Amino acid sequence: MEVLKSPLSASQKGKLISAGYTSINLLSSVSPSHLALELKISEAEALEILKTVSDGSRSESTSTSCTIVKGAQSAWDMLQEEETLVRITTSSSDFDNILGGGISCKEVTEIGGVPGIGKTQLGIQLAVNVQIPFDYGGLGGKAIYIDTEGSFMVERALQIAEACGDDMAEYSRLYRKGFHSHEVKIQPKDFLENIFYFRVCSYTEQIALINYLDKFITDHKDVKVVIIDSITFHFRQDFDDMALRTRLLGGMALKLMKLARKFGVAVVVLNQVTTKYSDGSFHLALALGDSWSHASTNRIILHWNGNERYAYIDKSPSLRSASAPYSVTGKGIRDSPSNNKRIKNI
Amino acid sequence: MGALKSLEEVYHIIDANFLQFCASRGIFSVEDFLVHDVSMLMASADKLSNSDRLKQGINQLVLITETYHQPWMNGLMLLEDREQNKHYISTGSESFDVLLQGGLREGHVTELVGPSSSGKTQVCFQVASNVALKKGNVVFFDSGNSFSPTRIKQMVTHISGSEENKVNGGVEEAMRHIECHAVFDIYTLLDLLHQLKLNLKSQSQKKSTELIIIDSISSLIAPILGGSNAQGHALMVSLGYLLKDLSHQHNIAVLVTNHMVSGEGGSLKPALGESWRNIPHVQLQLSQHHTTTNIYGVYILRHPYMASGKSVNFMIP
Amino acid sequence: MANKLISEMGLPKSIGHIFAARNIITAKDALSLTEFELMELLDVGLTQVTLAVALISEIASPPYQTVQSLLEQRMQNEYLTGHLPTHLKGLDLALFGGIPFGALTELVGPAGIGKTQVKKEGADGLFWLQFCLKMSVLATLPSCYGGLDGHVIYIDVESKFSSRRLIEIGLNSFPEIFHLEGMAKEMAGRITVLRPGSLSEFTESLQKIKVSLLQNQVKLLVVDSMAALVSGEYEQGPPRQHPLGWHISFIKSLAEFSRIPVVMTNQVRSRSATEISNYSFQGEKRDDCGNFDSHLVAALGIHWAHAVTIRLVLESRSGKRFIKVAKSPMSPPLSFPFKITSSGILLLNDDGIEMSGPQINAIDHQGHSDIILS
Repeated sequence: MEVLKSPLSASQKGKLISAGYTSINLLSSVSPSHLALELKISEAEALEILKTVSDGSRSESTSTSCTIVKGAQSAWDMLQEEETLVRITTSSSDFDNILGGGISCKEVTEIGGVPGIGKTQLGIQLAVNVQIPFDYGGLGGKAIYIDTEGSFMVERALQIAEACGDDMAEYSRLYRKGFHSHEVKIQPKDFLENIFYFRVCSYTEQIALINYLDKFITDHKDVKVVIIDSITFHFRQDFDDMALRTRLLGGMALKLMKLARKFGVAVVVLNQVTTKYSDGSFHLALALGDSWSHASTNRIILHWNGNERYAYIDKSPSLRSASAPYSVTGKGIRDSPSNNKRIKNI
Repeated sequence: MGALKSLEEVYHIIDANFLQFCASRGIFSVEDFLVHDVSMLMASADKLSNSDRLKQGINQLVLITETYHQPWMNGLMLLEDREQNKHYISTGSESFDVLLQGGLREGHVTELVGPSSSGKTQVCFQVASNVALKKGNVVFFDSGNSFSPTRIKQMVTHISGSEENKVNGGVEEAMRHIECHAVFDIYTLLDLLHQLKLNLKSQSQKKSTELIIIDSISSLIAPILGGSNAQGHALMVSLGYLLKDLSHQHNIAVLVTNHMVSGEGGSLKPALGESWRNIPHVQLQLSQHHTTTNIYGVYILRHPYMASGKSVNFMIP
Repeated sequence: MANKLISEMGLPKSIGHIFAARNIITAKDALSLTEFELMELLDVGLTQVTLAVALISEIASPPYQTVQSLLEQRMQNEYLTGHLPTHLKGLDLALFGGIPFGALTELVGPAGIGKTQVKKEGADGLFWLQFCLKMSVLATLPSCYGGLDGHVIYIDVESKFSSRRLIEIGLNSFPEIFHLEGMAKEMAGRITVLRPGSLSEFTESLQKIKVSLLQNQVKLLVVDSMAALVSGEYEQGPPRQHPLGWHISFIKSLAEFSRIPVVMTNQVRSRSATEISNYSFQGEKRDDCGNFDSHLVAALGIHWAHAVTIRLVLESRSGKRFIKVAKSPMSPPLSFPFKITSSGILLLNDDGIEMSGPQINAIDHQGHSDIILS
């Protein structure tokens, strides 16, 4: 590999190239002191350079693994892995159906909709549902809730947690009579204990926190969902330099995807809507512009259809575009009462 | 190539004496040597006492440099290479293939541009499934967490079902031919591509890699452009040339995807600007016809030997 | 945290100096650049940049709390776990006790008609004014009477605030307190009224408030009305920068940091025929819930609506008046029929009627056009 493409600083690259080290293979047998002398830099810096480039050249040694590129996985192996993954239920079976069983781990799912459609409620519901234990078909994980708007309501979380606990008790009473004796009901308190709440007050904090999540999740391995409510808020105010905004959002999107992939967590990003001019008329569209629209793996739009709330899959590499009704009740997100089986595959 | 010193061990003629001679003229590396006039060097060597040995050294260097450039080829040889080695890869949709006179070409870098959910990733999956069913290897670099094995399985099953080669385990075998690597920054991508290049050189005949997909390349490049850095540009261009080199040397079709952003007046344009435009051989624009159907449209933006502007519709199962 | 100094973060000396030399002083400066840009600007390698950014990020990140500890903390420190009761039983139940602290509550209804109408008790145009005044009274009441025992800042854009009415409301609702000698005067004295004449004056007063909020035991902030500040700027289309963008985030942060409830009113306007309510995937079909003439929408657009936490809407349908909880993260959409009696507002039904459909966002005024026009 050429030195030009290595992750070194511009001046280091410049020094190496003018000393004749255009390719990093040439550096393999050079000692730090020799290099320091040659480039007229400190020995520590020379050591740094050699370390960086040896990281690059180590991977160049032909791998003996069966894949062509080291670290890659064949689609078949990934399929096997994916089929064992548990998804996070939304508590509405119609909604789950169009999602292929729920919100997928290892992916970034963006959910947007008009004010009052139930985005925050869905966020809280997911933070609770991720904790449903394995025995009940859940993940038994913990949740990170990042609140940028200040719209998180602890009382509502308590209410949803209570309802979820009740439903689980009901479930075990109906289907698992044998286990009844040693069944301990999960208390709402336990649910709330497992939601890590971060309040973010500026876009700087938002970027910092997303960078920091890598370390945080390493320390809290049982986190299985990260909810950001909403990604939009701070980026819609006080931003004059739109190109900078696009770059920062782009960088953030990559980091979120990396988190999802690396730790197998579901990343759920809530987004606001805005009006957009296209094809000669104004339409509602999710905010943050065209380049952001590529940032998520799945994109779901919550909208009104007649008198019902519907979830619509706007974009997904694996799911068919479809929509399903759901409703927001006192207990949280539930199936729409009026129609139990009316999913439209469009 | 590189520093002259590194040649000392291999070529005895390039000794300390010779190096000193070069150094006194400001020549430390092979690159430095190349920008000097050889006859001038010869003339100045003549004036010195050990001129013969120095001249031998110079000739040796000239020989070394000659082995480094690509061999000359004439048009006939190029045509032969093209006809023997550069095959078409079917996209899996008949009308799409007809538009491209056979499909994606090995040795070409093909770029798909389109707005969000215009079918870019779906086309990638379909081409990959097609190649894999014919036992070609596919390397898929995924920067958008959009690689979906479940969807690939659907496509592989669909394609193999429509032909008669529906063998048990065929799906598994095909899917083993596709490998995916998640990539979230450009340095990792460059590193992996280099590794791929080396592996291809060393085990050229054992496994044939026919297709490299990068979905999407713009989300890796966009963050390094802008601001006021020339380095970002340099990296982008060198990535482009690396892809071209890989596709040409190893007869691989390279398929990359590019986003679209709003340009002036609200119309959409490809996200990577003018300097990237020169890299891909073929640029195709995708659009979804109606949001409720699986009919997509493709339009030729740029092609080395076809008129741009032609378009067809195709369907993805 | 965004303004934390990098020099105090304990970065390795060598790289710390480089940050300082390039004038990257705060976490905000550093994190507003991508890692690649930092490499360029600082002229150091990727590994070092990544390490530095990771460290800066860790320090600049806000701390976390589990929701349980948040709940416990609120229950311990705050009256009714952080709610100012409206004394409308059903509404208080739906909102878990009242208007929440630390959040924005928006009241949507027809604009006040002006001083000439003040005497017409119960006119919808003044309904929210009355509501705001009542909330002000409640916030100033001594805690033994269920109040917050604090001060109120009342930003009165349209000059509708009236001390006389305030005291009237006090006398009607809490006669036992307001009949005490000097009490009415003291209550009224705890309410500071600001009357900004323009958006820029409003901006100025907001900045001044920030300081006094903490000094003066302020327990409620009222803005009546927000929409009047930007009247005439309702045009459709994609505004790059919302005229109130800065104010939204500033008021939100005020509410948050001083943990007080913020109540603001918003006007309505008639819904134009080109109103955008569809996504492109929904096609061109218009939603058909009634004719447009009788439909109103909130004056400040969708961007604003995203920013508020709770939205209460006043509407009238077939001769009845309703308060709707149109947006709230805590309750299903409910609508409460009410009537106005001599002692104030009376909910006819404390359970509320669960609303379905987008009518929760539409604002009905069928059969009461006299109220809007008069």
